[in-house]
Amino acid sequence: MRIRAEYSVSPDLRFLSNLEMMRLIERSLRRASLPYALTEGFNPHIKLSLGTVLPVGVWGTREYFDLDLNEDMKPEEFMYRINQVLPEGVRVNEAQVIPEKAASLMKIINSASYTFALNEPEEKIVRLKEEILKAESLKIKSRGKKKNVEKDLKAGIYKAEVKYEKGQSYITFFVSVGEPVNVRYDELNDLLLRYGISEEKITDICRNGNYIKEGEFFYTPLEKVI
Amino acid sequence: MKEKLFKDILPKVSKPVRYMGNELNIIRKDWNKAKTRMAFAFPDVYEVGMSHVGGKILYGLINETTEHLLERTFAPWPDMEEVMRRENIPLYTLESYRPLRDFDVIGFTMQYELSITNILNMLDLAGIPLWSNERDEKSPLVVVGGPVVFNPEPYADFIDVFLIGDGEELLPEFLDAVYATKDLPKAERLLKMTKIEGVYVPRFYEVEYNEDGTVKKMFPKIPGVPEKVKKRVVKDLDSAYFPEKPILPYMNVVHDRAVLEVMRGCQRGCRFCHAGIVYRPVRERSIDTLKKQAEAQIKNTGYEEISLTSLSTLDYSGVEKLARELVAEFGARGIGISLPSLRVDAFSIDLANEIQKVRKTTLTLAPEAGTQRMRNIINKNVTEEQLLEAVEAAFKSGWNSVKLYFMIGLPEETEEDLDGIIELLDKVRNIGRRYSKRAVEVRASLACFVPKAHTPFQWQPQASITELEAKIKYMNSKKGKNIKLSFHDSRTSYLEGVMSRGNRKLSKAIYSAYKKGCKFDGWTEYFHFDRWMEAFRETDIDPDFWTVRKPSYEEIFPWDFIDIGVTKAFLKSENEKALKEMTTPDCRHDKCTGCGICPRFGVDIDIREGDKNAHSCRI
Repeated sequence: MRIRAEYSVSPDLRFLSNLEMMRLIERSLRRASLPYALTEGFNPHIKLSLGTVLPVGVWGTREYFDLDLNEDMKPEEFMYRINQVLPEGVRVNEAQVIPEKAASLMKIINSASYTFALNEPEEKIVRLKEEILKAESLKIKSRGKKKNVEKDLKAGIYKAEVKYEKGQSYITFFVSVGEPVNVRYDELNDLLLRYGISEEKITDICRNGNYIKEGEFFYTPLEKVI
Repeated sequence: MKEKLFKDILPKVSKPVRYMGNELNIIRKDWNKAKTRMAFAFPDVYEVGMSHVGGKILYGLINETTEHLLERTFAPWPDMEEVMRRENIPLYTLESYRPLRDFDVIGFTMQYELSITNILNMLDLAGIPLWSNERDEKSPLVVVGGPVVFNPEPYADFIDVFLIGDGEELLPEFLDAVYATKDLPKAERLLKMTKIEGVYVPRFYEVEYNEDGTVKKMFPKIPGVPEKVKKRVVKDLDSAYFPEKPILPYMNVVHDRAVLEVMRGCQRGCRFCHAGIVYRPVRERSIDTLKKQAEAQIKNTGYEEISLTSLSTLDYSGVEKLARELVAEFGARGIGISLPSLRVDAFSIDLANEIQKVRKTTLTLAPEAGTQRMRNIINKNVTEEQLLEAVEAAFKSGWNSVKLYFMIGLPEETEEDLDGIIELLDKVRNIGRRYSKRAVEVRASLACFVPKAHTPFQWQPQASITELEAKIKYMNSKKGKNIKLSFHDSRTSYLEGVMSRGNRKLSKAIYSAYKKGCKFDGWTEYFHFDRWMEAFRETDIDPDFWTVRKPSYEEIFPWDFIDIGVTKAFLKSENEKALKEMTTPDCRHDKCTGCGICPRFGVDIDIREGDKNAHSCRI
């Protein structure tokens, strides 16, 4: 049986790499003695796959993993048992059973949203949002594999939202993952700097969603199991 | 502090997880309720320090079983150090993010001689004066333990207190004393602490020197301070504390697995080996205890591997039974059992084959020398036949790559001994070719022999860098096809030699080298030999005095005042036997060798799983 879980990573654990997060989850499964399935062969490992990599330095509210179990289990029981042993800072908030032939998270996730907390007045950020959305092109230097190659983020920025709370402005970008252009959080950060925000005004960065975008709709991997 | 760290500091450095804390099973005790507050400082990076078993033991022991508090700190990597200095972040602990200077005690463990520069750098990052006599009443006590401090003298002027021997015996008692004396002036407290067995307070001792620079006399300046400092020994390892809930690091540390310390000490008696002498006698844990510890550790960590560790795990009397029972218990859950070092014989290969179901990567064996003559000199009681049998068993069962450990620069070494290593490697490769379809890989790692304090070879000279380089060149010119040789840095080994037999005068040179920027000396990329040599010149110290010079039997060594149980007479007779190429058998399987530890310390070798051949030690 395959389970898909949605979990959160607190700011205290935002410096964990993907490999470290993977190991954290595997070791939690063992501590909980959950009936995880193992691969065959000399070096058996747990059949666990994580969604797109949460970058080092960014915390996340809605991240995902898929896990194979040898025994049937109610998602509520799974959640309860793993949450008993997960370290402070990681929580499974939702889980559901998915068909074993469902496409993997890596295949289906094609969009994500990042929120930047800014020490700036709301009006300034609203203006900034409009400027960015109106721009004909949004060229920055790539932070990805082809370092420093010029890259246009325009086609990959789907929408942006601004919120103001307790003296802080928050801007959330809904961006593409993979195609048509892979938009990284540090490239969005560079974009903010290009548009006149200074580095020390950016106080926090969080990824608060991974989506399957269809037309104008952003479905979560729990809403849309293909 | 924490907020600044997470916001401004950690995003700027490589591997921020090193400096983050928050791990599972971390223990945060109430600062205000704790009696003595100690920072346990490991003078290397997090991933090295978190692999150290002794640190795990002391962390659990103090926090779980006493009213004291123990928090961890590690040496920051140079990129982090730079940011910390720039942003005025003092060295802090991972539990409470408090600066080290808030603690009552800063305790370093010294696993390696050259860590001393990191110790100085960490004190400096903590804002604590480096010289013991420059620290005032308010400054934390700076304390050092670990294998290196069986010769504490080179570091004596920096350190307030050395703790000699098994820490689980000594540390709780020491921290009690720190608490009990907290209202006394420092000099008085330290004096009181000298009453505890295993405590050495260097400021209470005077050293006089002969004209040739050797020690003439070392004596306590104050009545009541002991002339000799006896190491502490855990008599009953089976009932000794061992952590069942160790901290689970997020990052991939060097030894990232559950650990069972199956025994402490090794009685094989290799004449170059420091640990084999200073950790006598051999004490084992029972299989019952070890299985309980394994179960608890797995439950509390979720590790995927359990490692059976000790100085020589294949010599543990219950190794086969324990390994089988652990495989039966944990195998189906996908948890593997591993043996960190293998003995040079076919039995150990068979056992490894049986329990290590994982991919067969590299087999590692340590014959140490290339000829029988030299193996007799060093008392490595292994024959060429045993080695070849082991290698054959390995290649037969699918191993494809073998790594062999040797030493060069050993006492009485000739060209023939070096040729012997080359020939042995050729034989190993040829056996491999016979059994393996793929190309076999034979690698040798060659360490430069460093004479260590408290060993039979403490009277032996160390080969000079020039000699070692000539040997290295010679061996490289003679090595066979498909054989890879890798040599330890002869200059690093030379410096280790200086420290391991050095005396108090060295502290000036150490300080000077540190001031010239030496740190992380054990890491090739940060090792600056030229700076060290400059430091020796400037402080008028001849490092050859402790390395290439051959001491006489009459010489008083700087470490003679530390009583490790084994007598100097025994070490001397072992050195004499070495020169006659005579071996000394292991007292577990033969008669007592008369090393002195058991009768002198009222201890006994402690074999738990019924090795019938084991004799107890009675003279």
